[in-house]
Amino acid sequence: MIAIQTADVDIGALITAAKKHGTGAVVVFDGVVRDDEITEMELEAYEEVAVKELEKIAKEATEQFKLLHVDIIHRIGRLTVGENILIIVVSAGHREEAYAGSRFIIEAIKAGVPIWKKELTKDGGRWVPGDHAHGCGKSR
Amino acid sequence: MQWHDPDKNPREEEEMTVKIRFFARFRELLGTDIVTEVAPGTMFTHLITTTARKNPEGYAAIFDDKGTFHEFVILMKNGKRIEIADAAETPVADGDEIAVFPPVAGG
Repeated sequence: MIAIQTADVDIGALITAAKKHGTGAVVVFDGVVRDDEITEMELEAYEEVAVKELEKIAKEATEQFKLLHVDIIHRIGRLTVGENILIIVVSAGHREEAYAGSRFIIEAIKAGVPIWKKELTKDGGRWVPGDHAHGCGKSR
Repeated sequence: MQWHDPDKNPREEEEMTVKIRFFARFRELLGTDIVTEVAPGTMFTHLITTTARKNPEGYAAIFDDKGTFHEFVILMKNGKRIEIADAAETPVADGDEIAVFPPVAGG
């Protein structure tokens, strides 16, 4: 499942579904809204492009790390402290591939998927700065 | 935006429509899903320059003092990356979706 959506997901159900034949390890990455003295976080995406980029990343990770299953769900809209932002579930035959594949996916998302975060505070808000060294879709 | 040749009947000119999408801070300053008519031969940079000039703060967020895109600005045409160096000579065509946004910060 590759998706950009406002709704949360049932991580337990994703783990169950990720246990394909041959699975020896499932790694879950769950990025959550941190309490950096903010009230809420607002997330925005260039959805059509972002979903295609996530699909490319999932395909690359699957091929490179021999993954058996990949889920990437990135939430958008308004989220409060402690809520899930990004859930990545991968399964593989062994832990090395599962950990490496999960790490590859999160780093690729941070580098090149058109999604933005604004931290909302009592005094207004601030856009979380992206890394200027990276450009969306440039290296893919 | 259109340039009319005074010797030419405007109805004979080919009209083209493109959609401009700004995201994040750029969207807050300039809006988004801006559907605009452009003349044939209009270039990417010219289109965004003209559109961004409607809000000085929005213009300054995207362009430097020399009128060049800030190096961190990301440009896309129909979902494909356009390099800043090529944008001034990249024409837009009828039905194109143009996107301009700051560095990504998802995850």
